[in-house]
Amino acid sequence: MYDLELTPEQIEIRDAVRDFVTREVKPAATDPARLEPFEKPLMTGLLDQASQMGLRTLGLPEEAGGAGADLLTTCMLLEEIAVGDVDLAVVLGETALLVREVYGAMSVTQRQHWLPKFESDDRFHVALVARDDDAERGWSYYQAQPVDATAPGTPMLTAVRDGKGWVVNGSAPFVSNAPVAGLFIVRAKISGAPGTVTLLLARDAQGLSIDEPLPAFASGNELARWHHGAVAAVTLKNCRAAEADVLVAEAAHRMHASLGGRHAVQMAAINIGVARAAYEAAVDYAKMRWQGGRHIVEHQAIGMKLADVAIQLEAARGLTWKAAWVADHPAAIGNRSINDLPWPVIARTFTAEALHRATLEAAECFGAMGVMRDMPLQKYVHDTLVLRHSVDCDLASPLVVAEAVAGFSRKS
Amino acid sequence: MDYSLNEEQRGWQMEARKFAEEEIRPLSLARDQIADPKDTFDWEIIKKGSKLGFRTLAVPREWGGHEADFVTQAVVMAELARGDSSVSKTFSQCWKWSHLIAASCTKDQKERFLKPFIADDMFVLGKGGTEANAGSDNRMPPENDPKSGWKLRAERQGDDWILNGTKMFIANGSVAKLFFVDARTNPDANLREGSTMFMIPKDTPGFRIGKVFNKRGWRFYQNGELIFENARVPHANVVGEVNGGVKARATDKSEFGDIELAANALGICDDAVGIAMHFARNHKRAGKLVIDHQLVQLKLNEMYMLTEALRSFVLRTAWERDRKMPDLGNNVLVMNYSQEVVQRVTRANMDIHGPEGCMMNARVDKLVRDAMVWTHLAGDTVQRVKVVKRLPLTTG
Repeated sequence: MYDLELTPEQIEIRDAVRDFVTREVKPAATDPARLEPFEKPLMTGLLDQASQMGLRTLGLPEEAGGAGADLLTTCMLLEEIAVGDVDLAVVLGETALLVREVYGAMSVTQRQHWLPKFESDDRFHVALVARDDDAERGWSYYQAQPVDATAPGTPMLTAVRDGKGWVVNGSAPFVSNAPVAGLFIVRAKISGAPGTVTLLLARDAQGLSIDEPLPAFASGNELARWHHGAVAAVTLKNCRAAEADVLVAEAAHRMHASLGGRHAVQMAAINIGVARAAYEAAVDYAKMRWQGGRHIVEHQAIGMKLADVAIQLEAARGLTWKAAWVADHPAAIGNRSINDLPWPVIARTFTAEALHRATLEAAECFGAMGVMRDMPLQKYVHDTLVLRHSVDCDLASPLVVAEAVAGFSRKS
Repeated sequence: MDYSLNEEQRGWQMEARKFAEEEIRPLSLARDQIADPKDTFDWEIIKKGSKLGFRTLAVPREWGGHEADFVTQAVVMAELARGDSSVSKTFSQCWKWSHLIAASCTKDQKERFLKPFIADDMFVLGKGGTEANAGSDNRMPPENDPKSGWKLRAERQGDDWILNGTKMFIANGSVAKLFFVDARTNPDANLREGSTMFMIPKDTPGFRIGKVFNKRGWRFYQNGELIFENARVPHANVVGEVNGGVKARATDKSEFGDIELAANALGICDDAVGIAMHFARNHKRAGKLVIDHQLVQLKLNEMYMLTEALRSFVLRTAWERDRKMPDLGNNVLVMNYSQEVVQRVTRANMDIHGPEGCMMNARVDKLVRDAMVWTHLAGDTVQRVKVVKRLPLTTG
């Protein structure tokens, strides 16, 4: 059985989000006054509006007041948001994913404590403080799995037992959603013992501090900001957590194991949204711009570019939806309907490379205006470049596929 | 065959390399990161470079320039671009039009414009063709639409011409003291037969600079809007003949503009190669040097291979132009090739570096942004199509 038909509900919410993006997000995101400056503060008003539409609670089960969206539906909607603004999509995607996973890992008491806070406040987002985002992360393929507390790549955070609770110290330099999160899921290495502990901390927890969001340039202009969404450093200084704030170890382990793959598929969907924005702009412009005695869409050189962009977009969406569907239907691998491959990596790496090139082609249709900062094309190009070279996608990431195909395991 | 540079060429190369390393490179990133495009320019570096001869490199000796051959020009552009591609372009933009003055201007015009240009370290040149609705059409006017191309109008009034219209994206727009501007002098004829080139000093009444464009790359380089509102220009400023504007430029046989971009791209590639090699040999990933990973070895190989191939093509083309050999389109082909090479090489450099947490090496990113310009400011695809008419029936 092979079925790509969406349900009426999926089509309805996709159209509602598309409409919101067209009316509200795109005009704000492509305003030259926002495009030209290097600093691009998160558009929090629009983020709140998106929350009110239910996009923040997408992943939460219906029994808990969310939409209970599967990964495929989530990807479909993240693509729509990213057509308007990549940062909004990344923040909403992070919260939607984390709240789904952490809800699954919480005890009944923990749910009773956190859910009302999350549901009653449109501005309540979730952040994960779990990995050491140092320079090594760009080459994460060569690192051991971060699940192992003794390996590099685990947090610079340590937890010490103190009576019935824990005291956590340390810092993480790059935490997604830190500027907007109400709940921080913190994984710390247990001091003097193997393993990690995962804690739930409120934004106002004593000892937890959040830096200002990262500037466009840092370290005496040697480094340029290279991420989407809202990112800031988080420091914990003698931060106390009660036993009631600790996630059950097995549940926490399952949560951490599930996050990476789902996150990668969501990033692929967001990547598609960015490239689609470039594509739609190029199609509109090519139909309107007159050079060489005709609309430029009628020149073969331009037609071929638009065709190529359309082909790459459809190929990327096909792979990404497949990866999402596999995550939603894990039994399909067990019953041999689908090859046992790391689908999130396949979707993420293909999408990133193909759609960066596609976005360049879309920008080319605009001539000189393709590189002008008061036009959105150069930003789409930059956004796809960031997606191509970021945490879960780099020169080495496709080698994960080689491992799966050949059945070998890299040395840790 | 002989691939070596002569003593003079080598001398210019060393001078340019030293200047790029000691003077241009240290300001390159800081200038790139200034948000307002009007403020990215730096006159001090232009004055210093001018005193070393880089602004007037291409001017004939009899007029006080250095009369460097094309091989020298190519080599110098590449060396300067290694420090900063857009600073190199600011200098070479002056050569392009000093070629034109030397080739097409009258003795009186040379006295009035070439002499002050030679004497003044802050005298840079610009040229305006592009308009909002005239980009590709200027390079390749369609046969079925004779009115296509620039619309800026010039009308004769006694000994003067009155110009009205607007040019867009014009190089050195906000800093040049003299512009060569294409205008329509017969609106009923096509571009080739109905346009005239004028020399427009910056202080021409009725002429002003509008917006300075804010670009993703080449941020030092100023692209401006030229606005003509009943601008009054003396007839003595016509380059060549009235309605012979396109021909006026054609008297400059060098096709320098195309070699220029290819040589500049070569400098970016040299810079990227140096950065990548230094990084790979001095940083570790997963317990070994970055250069010890096969993935990186293959990327470095690609970067060197493409860069050396581009160098050969650039120098060969410059050498052909110096010898006035038959023009078989190589000057355009090398520009097209440089677009692909500079973009692949700078991306490979980014692949080797990867992100640093949520940050990227700012110069690695800058080179990728500068390289993107090759697709957008040189009419690349149009040139690819246009050159086919000039290509020989067979290669080799």
